[in-house]
Amino acid sequence: MVASAPDSGSARPADADGGIGDLAFHPVSRERRTWTSDLSVAEAAAVRRVGLVPAGFVMGTAVMQLAATGGQVFGQWGGLGGPSVGGGGGYSESYPCAHSYAIGGGIGFGGTAGGAAEHYGFNIEDAVLAASLTEGYRLAIGRLRDEATEVGAHGVVGVDLLFENLVGSTGTATFFARGTAVKHPGGAPLPSPFLTNASGQHFERLIALGYVPAGIAVGVGSVYVQPNCQSRGDFTVPGSNQQIPRAILVARARARDSLAAMAHRVGEGVVHTEWTDRRVNRYAESWDQLTVAVGTSVRRYSTEAPPLDPRPVLPLRP
Amino acid sequence: MSPALSSAPGIEAALAALRSPFVPGDQTTFISDLTVGELVLLEEIGYRPVDIVSGAGTASWNPQFTTSATEGNMWGRAIATAIDHARSGIVEELHRRRADGVVAMRFELERERANLLTCTMLGTAVQRISRGSGDEHPFVTTLSARDFHLLVRGGYRPSGIVIGVSVVGFAARSAAQSLGLARDNAELSDQTTALYSAREQAMEMMEREAQGLGADGVVEVQLQERPVNALLTHAVEFIVVGTAVHRGPKGHQALAPEFQLTLDDQPDTTFDR
Repeated sequence: MVASAPDSGSARPADADGGIGDLAFHPVSRERRTWTSDLSVAEAAAVRRVGLVPAGFVMGTAVMQLAATGGQVFGQWGGLGGPSVGGGGGYSESYPCAHSYAIGGGIGFGGTAGGAAEHYGFNIEDAVLAASLTEGYRLAIGRLRDEATEVGAHGVVGVDLLFENLVGSTGTATFFARGTAVKHPGGAPLPSPFLTNASGQHFERLIALGYVPAGIAVGVGSVYVQPNCQSRGDFTVPGSNQQIPRAILVARARARDSLAAMAHRVGEGVVHTEWTDRRVNRYAESWDQLTVAVGTSVRRYSTEAPPLDPRPVLPLRP
Repeated sequence: MSPALSSAPGIEAALAALRSPFVPGDQTTFISDLTVGELVLLEEIGYRPVDIVSGAGTASWNPQFTTSATEGNMWGRAIATAIDHARSGIVEELHRRRADGVVAMRFELERERANLLTCTMLGTAVQRISRGSGDEHPFVTTLSARDFHLLVRGGYRPSGIVIGVSVVGFAARSAAQSLGLARDNAELSDQTTALYSAREQAMEMMEREAQGLGADGVVEVQLQERPVNALLTHAVEFIVVGTAVHRGPKGHQALAPEFQLTLDDQPDTTFDR
């Protein structure tokens, strides 16, 4: 998903039949008497130095019900079906009980020490959750871009992207994209306004140094982790652990790959990437290892910027 | 009345570039978590960003019965293993991408429960623009792009991050001691000693690592200490991480900074974010 690419239309039926989705896509038109912005004074000054003026504060919102592969569904047999269990041929690995007494399930010590299920662990890529989050971001960014187009903007600077459980209950997420639309007075409109998560000052540096933002790109990666005894911190089987780092690395790699795939469609480089790794608790002791990466895709429009050779300075009073 | 807009020479050209479609595949692509200012700082010293790379390692240990007699060898080793796995993982990614190093690396230690520790690293891999003759070992550093720029201009190169880990146990206070000490302003010499030896061991390990890399010194050492006082566990954990550096071919270069007297009160908070 690259936000500045034209929206290919949504497959959601609510949008098609002019329901709630339609309202969200076309906010009530009102005549704007003055521009608004969430820029600080210094940011607004920076944007003006570049030759742009604020056109209005714009935002896009989407409340989503999140889908995810269910840990309970796979249970202790998650890894036994081979690498295809994760669905769609994604990454999956099983981490049998490190005690070895759970092999054979329920036999021997397993029966008295809590059963095989308690000790078995596996990682499964949760492509469904990742796709769910990506779709939420896509909707929010698309609506932000639509609002920017409506106010005749050339771009949006300082875009904040976030999701939280604000409206609705467990399993839902509210996605926000907000920023300040800016325009170049007298400039012909762009096919689609550019978006960047860089602040006004960083935007000024971008332009001055020969780069132009092309769009915001989002990458999401998610791995469902059902920890085995060792990954739950059972100190009777200490040592180096593979399950947790593998989950983190796979989630990060997926986020990186989808970020790159989206960003490199509209620009050659990605800057200002904000990385978030988090654990989303799931059933019992399991969790989703989730990585979200948001960055600005940039193009180099000029290589004529002279070498800067920045001067070291030491303020006498910091 | 709004002042006349002075359009910077860039913006027209910049917007014009967005009017023509982008053709993927023509350019060298990169991904970074740096700002454009930082990209330029890297470019000035001959580096360009390649990709975002990461590493992770986890280890657990048995923390029970750690006293001054049964020092937590396994414990300290487990922490060092977790960090070392993350470090070798990120170096492997650097090799795979033919990168020369990683800058502004985020180094995070996440504790899960008492005896499980995950170390993660993430940063922007960089490559020298004019490739040198010898393929050096890629470096890893937590130094920011700005500090890396300063380091290189100062005539030094990062050798890599170096770590030191130690866990030292100490005896629990006996009941009588506890009661007695509660009324006195006495030093708990066991525990002071434990802290001292923990620091000594950690710094020794770090110095050994730096020597192994052929470094001249270590900058930006960060330390973390954590006392662990559980029912049967009395120990202090000591972790140090720093960037080992060595002098480049030209030796130390004086930066000769210009002194500035700022007229603003707090320029940094006014115009920088």
